[in-house]
Amino acid sequence: MDKRYYGEFGGQFVSESLMNTLSELDDAFEDAIKDPEFLKQVDYYLKQYVGRETPLYYAERLSEKYGTKIYLKREDLNHTGAHKINNVIGQILLAKRMGKTKVIAETGAGQHGVATATGAALFNMDCKVYMGAEDMERQKLNVLRMEMLGAEVVKVTSGSNTLKDATNEAIRNWTKDAEDTFYIMGSAVGPYPYPKMVKTFQSVISKEAKRQHMEVEGRNPDVVMACVGGGSNSIGMFAEFIDDPEVELIGVEAAGKGIETGMHASAFHGGEIGTLHGMKSYLLQDEDGNIKLAHSISAGLDYPGVGPEHAYLHDTGRAKYVAVTDDEAMDALMELCHLEGIIPAIESAHALAYAFKKAEEMTMDQSMIICLSGRGDKDVNTIADYLAGKGYMN
Amino acid sequence: MANRIEERLAKQKAAGKKSFVTYITAGLPDMDRCMDLVKAQEEAGIDIIELGIPFSDPTADGPVIQDASYRSIQKGTTLRKVFNAVKGLRADGCEVPLVFMMYYNTILHYGIDAFAKSCREIGVDGLIVPDLPYEEQADLKEALKKEEDATILIQLVSPVSGKRIPMLTKDARGFIYCVSAMGVTGQEGKFYRTINDYLKQVKEASDIPVFMGFGIQTAKDIEPMKDIIDGAIVGSHFIRLMEKNNYSLDVAKDYIRTFKEEMNASFFKA
Repeated sequence: MDKRYYGEFGGQFVSESLMNTLSELDDAFEDAIKDPEFLKQVDYYLKQYVGRETPLYYAERLSEKYGTKIYLKREDLNHTGAHKINNVIGQILLAKRMGKTKVIAETGAGQHGVATATGAALFNMDCKVYMGAEDMERQKLNVLRMEMLGAEVVKVTSGSNTLKDATNEAIRNWTKDAEDTFYIMGSAVGPYPYPKMVKTFQSVISKEAKRQHMEVEGRNPDVVMACVGGGSNSIGMFAEFIDDPEVELIGVEAAGKGIETGMHASAFHGGEIGTLHGMKSYLLQDEDGNIKLAHSISAGLDYPGVGPEHAYLHDTGRAKYVAVTDDEAMDALMELCHLEGIIPAIESAHALAYAFKKAEEMTMDQSMIICLSGRGDKDVNTIADYLAGKGYMN
Repeated sequence: MANRIEERLAKQKAAGKKSFVTYITAGLPDMDRCMDLVKAQEEAGIDIIELGIPFSDPTADGPVIQDASYRSIQKGTTLRKVFNAVKGLRADGCEVPLVFMMYYNTILHYGIDAFAKSCREIGVDGLIVPDLPYEEQADLKEALKKEEDATILIQLVSPVSGKRIPMLTKDARGFIYCVSAMGVTGQEGKFYRTINDYLKQVKEASDIPVFMGFGIQTAKDIEPMKDIIDGAIVGSHFIRLMEKNNYSLDVAKDYIRTFKEEMNASFFKA
């Protein structure tokens, strides 16, 4: 079997100029994750710098209301406020190990950009973050954060001026500068070995959660759930449970204004198989095979594709993928604020919204883990606009 | 039936001449005028024309071709429409070798087998798919084979291909497309630092003509590698020239004649 593929998904759909780069990257990555010293280094920074491990919090009031045990994996408590930093630490240590001095990244909402800028400051590397002009406008504070951290934010004005185009531009510049530049991809997408690398570095989420749940409940959870844009927090949340068939895996995509309106970001609902950003996977496309814009109130889920391993888990039936609307996500967000005193990222609120629906068919003897992938501080402007009935850009 | 690209290049070789290839984005300034531009180039003696099929996410292209693709999509250009236009062109007796430069998603969306069939039936002689590296080509090659290999998949080689060069050139047909620099189309005057060594390496490994593309504007640009390469490809610069001159067919013809003359004259001098 071709290791670059997950069933028919994945691969390396990049220009010839990048093929050697990917092969070097793959060798370096495989070598690093077999090296105890490297793994020790990753663990050290995750503990001392990121603040891991994160709690698996038993949400008492939610559990009581919905009649099943609800555990929240608190990735929102990581340094920089989301799970993104887990992957950045892993990739940037790999970049260092490979002798690279510059890193680049794409960002949509800015969370991965901030995490990359943070890692670059920590490890003294040049950092350029590609960001769509429209996203820069929407996420001014994150632009400021990245600049404070010493990164150069490059405004992307091609195509739709959003994450998809920022990724295109990062790929173009990587092709140009691959000899001394490491591309830190933020999601479980891209050409092989990126989906595997991101999964490896994010699987710390489920390694901890599985053990934490076992300590309290003495068994595996019945359901594990996470939101899916490109799919990095979800693949990290699923990783350790994929081989445990008794655990139901559910990925929650953004249905935006509703799947039927066409204004959504669900690659599994209305997407078809194609190639973008170096991978073959489900993609939102128009009738001519051009990539369609995704729509979601959550910038982090606003991506027209999905990681190739998710496509595989979907087609084999191992994981189920559902979608919830902007409105449902915002209701769930407010409920978590009121009942548990936690302001979640809008992305994570999508997983919560479906969890509340799923709970209806569960009992007090059962339990579920929801990945609370990030905190909502970055979203307060969007939330304010939403509550004021102004809607949102995009 | 012999392939138009291979026929043309065999003639060029017999005559001791270097070849010239231009790239234009299909559908600009509109489909009819685009086809007129193809015919005008044929009259001016162009050897091969690359027709770019616009895609929403052209990651191998620089700003000029990105912008051209975007505008062409806005005008409603689709693969089907380009196929139709080329069908008309062939019906009018235009026999210039044609290569489609396109991204793999466009082919997948059309259906690989259906695409290969349309290419053969309509008379598309070659394909350049910049996001389909050698390791991912099996499906497309199989589909082309089912259509008697009427359409050639052109192989791209990059300055860092190194050890991959023998693999890339081994079964290649038509010509080898050597990318002059790392990165995307249209970065003028920035050829790779060891460009000549790299081109020589490809030339030695290849039984078929070796062309260079990316960042070329005039025949002067390729003077330093004139002894190595068999032809040149101009894309972004030609598109800009057409934009500036309102797609004047005379300007296009002049440019092509001049480039061909200068390129071959400089070769003869050498």
